[in-house]
Amino acid sequence: MLKAMRTPRNLDIDITARCNLRCRYCYFFNNTAVDYRDLPTGEWLQFFDELGSLGVMNVTLAGGEPFIREDLIPLLEGLVRNRMRYSLLSNGALIDDEKAAYIARTGRCESVQISVDGSCAAVHDTCRGPGAFEGALRGIRTLSRQGMTASVRVTIHRYNLDDLENIARFLLEELGLPGFSTNSAGYLGTCRLNADDVMLTAAERQAAVSTLLRLAEKYPNRISASAGPLAEGLTWRRMEGARRQNAAAFPNGGRLSACGCPSSKISVRADGAIVPCCMLAHIELGRINRDSLAEIWQNSPPLNRLRIRQAIPLTEFEYCAGCSYVPYCTGNCPGLAYTITGEIDRPSPDACLRHFLEEGGTIP
Amino acid sequence: MNQTDKPIANPIVVLREEFDDWAVLFNPDTAGALGTNPVGVAVWKRMDGKRSIGDIISEIRDCFEDAPDAAPEEITAFIRTLEEKGFVGLDVERK
Repeated sequence: MLKAMRTPRNLDIDITARCNLRCRYCYFFNNTAVDYRDLPTGEWLQFFDELGSLGVMNVTLAGGEPFIREDLIPLLEGLVRNRMRYSLLSNGALIDDEKAAYIARTGRCESVQISVDGSCAAVHDTCRGPGAFEGALRGIRTLSRQGMTASVRVTIHRYNLDDLENIARFLLEELGLPGFSTNSAGYLGTCRLNADDVMLTAAERQAAVSTLLRLAEKYPNRISASAGPLAEGLTWRRMEGARRQNAAAFPNGGRLSACGCPSSKISVRADGAIVPCCMLAHIELGRINRDSLAEIWQNSPPLNRLRIRQAIPLTEFEYCAGCSYVPYCTGNCPGLAYTITGEIDRPSPDACLRHFLEEGGTIP
Repeated sequence: MNQTDKPIANPIVVLREEFDDWAVLFNPDTAGALGTNPVGVAVWKRMDGKRSIGDIISEIRDCFEDAPDAAPEEITAFIRTLEEKGFVGLDVERK
């Protein structure tokens, strides 16, 4: 079993189920398993005291839009008081000087991530709605006035694919940001309802991989990704190189080992349900302030099943039969495996290299 | 005011103990972290501003039967490392 820590080191918390935007590829909304309601301040502060007693080190507040909470500063005070660091995931529009100044003063903020999906409103607002681009820029500038640099995330979809070059130039040259990260619209939440419209086709994914690899060379160490086309392009290059040389299996290769989260991290929904991950939000492990987080972390059967998952060999799956990439493959994200196939303990077709090649893709 | 040789743990630093008795010391103000073994954990828990470094060494030798001969130097070096990282201060003499 994946060796877990005594208590989680990091938590992802959907601090609110409210958002000022309704993005067409949002992973959060339109999950039928989720009860979209907010908890009062006191409930969260009580829970943060428990996190402090467990030695949790980092909390990421997401949602929904965390800055929509009128009590955001008292909530952050609760994290600071309990000796934690924190990050915030935002669309930027509701960040004001008071909140930004407070965040800067705490000295505990790892990052404020703001989504920017286009080099101009015409592209960014296509999937996020009118005014979203101006809101994102306003958020970036407000943070900057308080001495903070926003961490920008670009989510790639059909409507900004042709704008990637402009986006990189805009963020890195015009705004002068040190870097940005990328992913792509994934088959989760609202995106599932709009999948045919917003998600990349195989040909578009091919184009995104090629463009991002080229931009990553043009701007060294300034464009990153842990998922999406850039991450896939880099991983697939390594896998293809290993396959051609008939190299030994990768250390975690050949098993469902892609997700290491259950060893160090757990999530909480806006309604207080404790879940393994925001991408597995239907697996309720307990509720905050009713159940002991330490007890859930150490003894929850569903969580321990996820930890065992990484021992499952890919050779067990018909889907992987005859695939020459198996020794170099980790089976990809269990959250997407679930939303795409209905099963967690199986490889996700989403970032499957063989599937990509069969659909006509090539490795740049 | 003069510094004493009585180390006191920075109260902002978090001690995360793990199953195997090892631990991580984490300073949330700086994001600095340091892994430590069970002896280090025992030292950390004794840095209360009341015990001198000599007191701590003596107690550790009593607690850990297999403590090596070099334990005093190693414990002193460990405390100095923590001091350099801002995880520990030395109490001041009160008159």
